[in-house]
Amino acid sequence: MNKIVDKEYFSENVIRLEIEAPRIAKARRAGHFVIVKIGEKGERIPLTIASANPEKGTITLVIQRVGVSSRRITELNIGDEITDLVGPLGEATHIEKVGTVLACGGGVGVAPLLPIVEALKKAGNRVVTIIAARTKDLIILEDQIARYSDEVIVMTDDGSYGKKGLVTDGMKEVMEREKVDQSVVIGPAIMMKFAALTTKEYNVPTVASLNTIMVDGTGMCGACRITVGGKTKFVCVDGPEFDAHQVDFDEMLLRLNGYKEIEKKAEQEYLQSKEKK
Amino acid sequence: MQKLETTYLGLPIKNPIVVGSSGLTTTIGGIKKLANAGAAAIVLKSVFEEEIKAEANQTIGQQLGVDENNLEFFDYYDYQVKNDVLDNYVALIREAKENVDIPIIASINCSSYSEWVAFANKIEDAGADGIELNIFKLPFDAKTEADVIEKVYFDIVRKVKERLRIPVAIKLAPYFTNLGNVINRLSHSGADGLVLFNRFTSIDYDIENDQVVTGKVYSGADDYVNTLRWISVTSTDAGCDLIASTGVHDYRTLVKMILAGASSVQIVSAIYKEGPELITAMLNELKAWMERRNVHSISEFKGRLSQGRSANPEVFERVQFMRYFSGYKG
Amino acid sequence: MAVTKEFLKSEREQSWRVDIRKLLKNKERTALTRVHMGEVAPAVRVKSNIEVNSGLTQDEAVNESRRCLDCPDPTCITGCPVEINIPKFIKRIEQGDFLKAAQVLKETSALPAVCGRVCPQEKQCEAKCFYQLKMKKEPVAIGHLERFAADYERESGQISVPGIADSNGIKVAVIGSGPAGLTFAGDMAKLGYDVTVFEALHEIGGVLKYGIPEFRLPNNIVDVEINNLREMGVKFENNFIVGRTASFADLKEEGFEAFFTGSGAGLPRFMNIPGENYIGVLSSNEYLTRVNLMDAANPTTDTPVVSGKNVAVIGGGNTAMDSVRTAKRLGADRAMIIYRRSMEEMPARVEEVKHAQEEGIEFLNLCNPVEYFADETGRVNKVRVQKMELGAPDDSGRRRPVPMEGSEYDIEVDTVVVSVGVSPNPLIPSALPQLKTTRWGTIVVDEEKLQTSMPEMFAGGDIVRGGATVILAMGDGRNAAAAMHTYLQEKLNS
Repeated sequence: MNKIVDKEYFSENVIRLEIEAPRIAKARRAGHFVIVKIGEKGERIPLTIASANPEKGTITLVIQRVGVSSRRITELNIGDEITDLVGPLGEATHIEKVGTVLACGGGVGVAPLLPIVEALKKAGNRVVTIIAARTKDLIILEDQIARYSDEVIVMTDDGSYGKKGLVTDGMKEVMEREKVDQSVVIGPAIMMKFAALTTKEYNVPTVASLNTIMVDGTGMCGACRITVGGKTKFVCVDGPEFDAHQVDFDEMLLRLNGYKEIEKKAEQEYLQSKEKK
Repeated sequence: MQKLETTYLGLPIKNPIVVGSSGLTTTIGGIKKLANAGAAAIVLKSVFEEEIKAEANQTIGQQLGVDENNLEFFDYYDYQVKNDVLDNYVALIREAKENVDIPIIASINCSSYSEWVAFANKIEDAGADGIELNIFKLPFDAKTEADVIEKVYFDIVRKVKERLRIPVAIKLAPYFTNLGNVINRLSHSGADGLVLFNRFTSIDYDIENDQVVTGKVYSGADDYVNTLRWISVTSTDAGCDLIASTGVHDYRTLVKMILAGASSVQIVSAIYKEGPELITAMLNELKAWMERRNVHSISEFKGRLSQGRSANPEVFERVQFMRYFSGYKG
Repeated sequence: MAVTKEFLKSEREQSWRVDIRKLLKNKERTALTRVHMGEVAPAVRVKSNIEVNSGLTQDEAVNESRRCLDCPDPTCITGCPVEINIPKFIKRIEQGDFLKAAQVLKETSALPAVCGRVCPQEKQCEAKCFYQLKMKKEPVAIGHLERFAADYERESGQISVPGIADSNGIKVAVIGSGPAGLTFAGDMAKLGYDVTVFEALHEIGGVLKYGIPEFRLPNNIVDVEINNLREMGVKFENNFIVGRTASFADLKEEGFEAFFTGSGAGLPRFMNIPGENYIGVLSSNEYLTRVNLMDAANPTTDTPVVSGKNVAVIGGGNTAMDSVRTAKRLGADRAMIIYRRSMEEMPARVEEVKHAQEEGIEFLNLCNPVEYFADETGRVNKVRVQKMELGAPDDSGRRRPVPMEGSEYDIEVDTVVVSVGVSPNPLIPSALPQLKTTRWGTIVVDEEKLQTSMPEMFAGGDIVRGGATVILAMGDGRNAAAAMHTYLQEKLNS
């Protein structure tokens, strides 16, 4: 049950896992996520389903090591089992032919962006994709994204790969030179905030896929609540995608800090305990 | 060319006719008709705290299970009703702003402001141009002193103004011990406008069936006189816009209110009776009057017959019918 | 499943019961005083999750059972939502046959160890006891006795597994493993059906596990009941959300003939006052799920919980009591209840309120929050509350709270738990748009049969009632099982 059948390192801290999950693979659409828990004492965390293979009965997750739970998962190997895996959760991405779509992925946000880009291209859109990260090492899935994009622009903060600059620089360049009908942005919250502000200036309708703290992921607890257009919404059941121009990103950023110190401390302890071994 | 511009709560409006909070201003269709007929601003139908509590109460009465087994489920149900009502209201404000280009004023009818704090900000975020507070506690409680009741109003104005950037109006009822004093002080308290006066539903008796019934629903054309008196008495020294309400049925009352010192009027009953076309008609008749009387702007005749500018100010304060009126010839 | 007067009478006339009644005169019985069940001392119990109530000893139980007069017209049964044959089980205790007492309970109540602990007996059976009604004396401690019998059976290891009819091979699906689903599953298994319970979370038990804290209902007790069901052949699949992991169409293709939805009321409600989204303001669902389900207070588990020194819990129901007492155990210096009505009007069980008071919980009644404030990192640090006074009664019979304008003041807090009620979980209704629901999200059912607008779907518990009690959910599970049995037999024989 939920065995890992394949594992690949995109970089030291970004790992791809392919997991047996026939029911989830069959029901999954682009945009859906799962809740994963490792071990009896593990935490429940949300991870976007990067892709699914219904014939094989597997789903693929791309995970960045940012804390204890993501480390636990990525330390598993082929043949190990995921203790608890539930999904598919969230609302699927709404895909339609609009014309030209500007897809922007920041860091590991490129992984959930990939299936959306694929679906948008297959629906007949012209797809311009910007993938951005702080540095070359964190750029992932460039070839895969290129397969479904009419154009790929790579941006790194430090210029170590592709163009030097922020994702918003790349976005402005595209929107200046051509008409963009829709934008999709996925990445760290702060990136999505500024991406949304950028597209607002050009009046481009924009969808963001949000990543908040979650506990159950099924709408039960409200830990993932955000404010969209003045109303409270739960990312796990109403999202994860929302109209980026209506999302209160400042509130979302505030709430994301809720457990920052605890998480940092836990990660330090975890790494120390690994070193002792 | 007559200029009809004036102000409402300090906001510039294109003429002095504002549609008051009522069933006329509860749908986009209704609001658009009024705007097309020439209304200069719209006050949306009030959100009634009383209605929300009544609905929540009724639900609890119907749904409370045996041994109150679901009491915990319904204990804060009024908050749910309130949030639903407010979500719909915010949607109405947004839609109204998208469909007409005249100021949209939200209206809340409540007895305690604190529970409405959050909502005021949502109203502002939704794009409302102003907010009208209807705070009324009929002094049924014989134990509460007049000054305690009055203090509530001032507290509320202060608290609301602390939180909002949009202008705030208070709709008053004429039931204060020292009405002129209250109007004057409130107008300097930070409120951006005072609406004089709120008109209440009244009770009446059916003497054939020994029943208490609702009194007449609409104002009559003569009901304006109380408003006229008090506007004329307070407008000169007022610290904010005064808006006349009750009994404005034709251009004559409209003109009278402006002569008394009002910057604009709210109309409801007359539109119920004669439709939005009444607004167009009144504006035309107002222009015709202004042309006849050779005035070119609202500010030119606003307050011209107010007490503050009158040579015989005592006339405004005469309240008893005296010899002059009895026909007695001494 | 109405218990008839004739049935009760014939039971009462059985010789063993007649003999028991003869042991003492009624005068002697009524002279006894109600037992006081041992409780762990407050100062001790707030330091751990130890169960507060210690249960009755055998002597205490037998003595208490003697108080019951075995009335010819047992009004206590009319107070029980599932009509447990109360005098019968109590007289078995008096007889000394505790295992038989447990069996009597299990004839009607699937989870007697649970009910004995969480039922609001003071509003139900005990409120209708002869002592209470006619003598204005303390009622027989029916709840304590129920717990005693259930615990005795469990601890003896001789847990009666009810007889199961021959398997009929008909597959039925249960959605949700809370009290309604578990009861339904047990009854259907007894009738020979092939039952699978699908649970969205990783733990089986629903609100019994994530909602009710260890110090009221230890999780291992719930697990014993669940294992019983496994022994009866009930299958459990966790991490499975019906409507998402598999659709209803998928399940029907896999052979499931009918469904029972017991998905509960697990959607948190907030007040929507300013500042409610600051860090440190949580719904009671989130707070209790972290602590009870994810064991977050345990430093060796990964899930964190931040429970501060000044904790305010908003609300007055059982969930609020659970939350505030949890906060105390997590080290709060001030654990406060902020409730807008008075003590007497709180919906919580009387015993929970009493235990909370003993544990040092501060009750700020006639008090209601209007706004929260935070420090520069966005963490809540103050709540502004307003005093209330009681006005005219509303339709719940309680005097309504009226805000006192100008009475606001601030309280320092570092954690706030909002416990103002829950709503029905929307997962199933949203997966089945054709399912008829009410405006507050509950599923509409036929009152007797608990059948929904989809004939092959039955429902019960909080998803139908809004947030109600465990015992009612169990009663629904029971009734729905009987009704579905009839429905399936008719459907498959036509």
